Amino acid sequence: MNQHFDKRRERLNLFQALFTKPKTIKITEKELDFVVCPKCNKAIESSEVKKHISVCPQCDYHFPLTAFQRIDSIFDNGSFYEVYAKASSTGLNNFPDYLNKLTRYQKETSLNEAVVVGTAKLNDIKVAVAIMDSRFMMGSMGQVVGEKITRIIELAHRRKYPLIIFTASGGARMQEGIMSLMQMAKTSAALERFNQAGGFYLTVLTHPTTGGVSASFAMLGDIIMAEPQALIGFAGRRVIEKTVKEQLPDNFQTSEFLYEKGFVDQIVHRKDLRNKIYQCLMFHKEIK
Amino acid sequence: MIQKCLIANRGEIAVRIIRACKDMGIKTVAIYSTADKSSLHVLLADESVCVGEANSKDSYLNINNILSAALACGADAIHPGFGFLAENASFARLVMACGLIFIGPHPDVIDLMGNKINARNTMNRAGVPIIPGSLEPIISMDEGLKQAQSIGYPIILKAAAGGGGKGIRMIEDDESFIQAFNVLRQEAKNYFNDDSLYIEKLFVNAKHIEVQILADQFGHVVHLYERDCSFQRRHQKMIEEAPCHWLTQEIRQNICQAAVTAAKAVKYDSVGTIEFLMDEESKFYFMEMNTRIQVEHPVTEMITGVDIVKHMIRSADKQKLSIKQKDIKINGHAIECRIISEDYRNDFKPSVGRINFYHAPGGKDVRIDSALYSGYEIPPFYDSMMAKLITSGSTRLNAIKRMRSALEEFIVEGVENNLEFCYLTMFNSNFVTGRYTTQFANDWIKELKEREPTL
Repeated sequence: MNQHFDKRRERLNLFQALFTKPKTIKITEKELDFVVCPKCNKAIESSEVKKHISVCPQCDYHFPLTAFQRIDSIFDNGSFYEVYAKASSTGLNNFPDYLNKLTRYQKETSLNEAVVVGTAKLNDIKVAVAIMDSRFMMGSMGQVVGEKITRIIELAHRRKYPLIIFTASGGARMQEGIMSLMQMAKTSAALERFNQAGGFYLTVLTHPTTGGVSASFAMLGDIIMAEPQALIGFAGRRVIEKTVKEQLPDNFQTSEFLYEKGFVDQIVHRKDLRNKIYQCLMFHKEIK
Repeated sequence: MIQKCLIANRGEIAVRIIRACKDMGIKTVAIYSTADKSSLHVLLADESVCVGEANSKDSYLNINNILSAALACGADAIHPGFGFLAENASFARLVMACGLIFIGPHPDVIDLMGNKINARNTMNRAGVPIIPGSLEPIISMDEGLKQAQSIGYPIILKAAAGGGGKGIRMIEDDESFIQAFNVLRQEAKNYFNDDSLYIEKLFVNAKHIEVQILADQFGHVVHLYERDCSFQRRHQKMIEEAPCHWLTQEIRQNICQAAVTAAKAVKYDSVGTIEFLMDEESKFYFMEMNTRIQVEHPVTEMITGVDIVKHMIRSADKQKLSIKQKDIKINGHAIECRIISEDYRNDFKPSVGRINFYHAPGGKDVRIDSALYSGYEIPPFYDSMMAKLITSGSTRLNAIKRMRSALEEFIVEGVENNLEFCYLTMFNSNFVTGRYTTQFANDWIKELKEREPTL
């Protein structure tokens, strides 16, 4: 008979969520605010998380980074120079509500699109970089994202810079239909030309890297690094399970699993990322 | 002295009356239809008589069978409750002709107040302010149009014999008047066997205030202060409270005095309610008089401590009122939610079925009038009201808070109901501040629908 009371409690909790807005906990004079780690469920002071470059000090969970947080954590202070910052979609294909959605995300993230591209220095080595931001429509790749990536590849090609791309994407942007799928071929072709010219290309796969992005430039790096516990894959878990009618292993599509199977060269903790990338760049320089 | 009372009703009000009778040492007789064999009022009464088939026309409205039952079991009084035969003057007359006591007002008053046009005229003569509108039945469309224009749209077109939310149309302009007039006339003819219509001004943002009246057959009339019944969906009240915390002491005095004047003007001799509309400028107008016990009487009982049903039985038994006006004080605030078996997520579609599980809330200042029990099967033939939950507190906010926690405890499993709707309403800021009018319920239902379609 208890189930009736449980059911009621569930409904009441749902209503409670409707009525009360989530509050950040404030403790008198010194303002402390907390984040709760989704993996270990522990409350951690925000400043503590910041100190660890958005990594949970308890369980090493990597919180998603915004594009500019990423830039600050990797490259030399103030060395980043953004290009094509104003590129944004015209929404010409008239997908219902798409333009509104874009405007909303632009307001929320103060980005114009899901990728930030430019040049930067890493211990004084000049590099071309692209950093995807999962806050902007889950980092999905539409025409603008594809074009910006292609242009930064071509910029690296022209100036003979090494190229580093941080991926974080749910895949191709469905609202742009076939035009977004075409970006896979476009970016891959540009990379091939870059490769023929002897350019060095390094990708860092961050959580999540899936769909059309993982099926194009993300997996084409000369060196492929990944952050721990990142979701990396093409189709989603349930889709695959339904199609092949098989139970998939628990760690399926994590960076560790891919490393084991040889798709990823190295799993790098966020705190080591800068050094590892620097090593690779130096290594590349030596060959040249 | 009444020894044995037949209750010509069903559901929670029958249970309520049975309880009052038991308190007073009166034997009770329940009547029931074939569909109501296992209803609570039948199980609780001392005796019970089946009066007909499930359809209320054949049972609860079957005057011959009910009178036969009363005479056969030796009852000396009949309480009609509300709905069914409660405001049927010819029933009351027949009861009296059989030598039984009709627990309710004199049939002549029922007749007078049952016809809304006569009621308006009577009140107008007694000096009680009435809603601007017609004083004579409207015979022709042209005359009606002329009147409507002079009063000014929007107006309400009503059947003189109407009630219970039937036979009413809101009219916004000439065109809709022309459209509605003949349709409503036909409807009134079908429902009430009386096709006279009249016009009243429509107050869009009004409060529905009603005053509870107690009277005896010796000309004594007292009021038990007002109730605020502005929370209405399609002219059906859903949440009621007492007192109306929006009234100033002065207006409260005036409105209650007007109600007493109104009751005295018709020589009222039982329990009744005078309904008023109050506009935004706190001007109030007589709307109608209910010559019966009302669904929402418990809120008044909660704040005054007066047992209204007992007083009704005593008055019918030719006893003098035992309380004086100066002894009646408002004590705190009370709120009532009508718990109905209607699906609030699905446009309040009625739901029937078996109650698999029933848990009633409890505690201080929580009252439940219900006809439910675990395993009870709700028949599809009657009103959808299953229970009334009433809470009170020293302040209005306390009463609301108590209502919230009572609704959290209240579980009715098996049929769709409006418990959650009431619960959500108790958190609505407009409701909590009490600044709501008769329009509010509709807006709120719409808002809920938009806000969370999966609720």
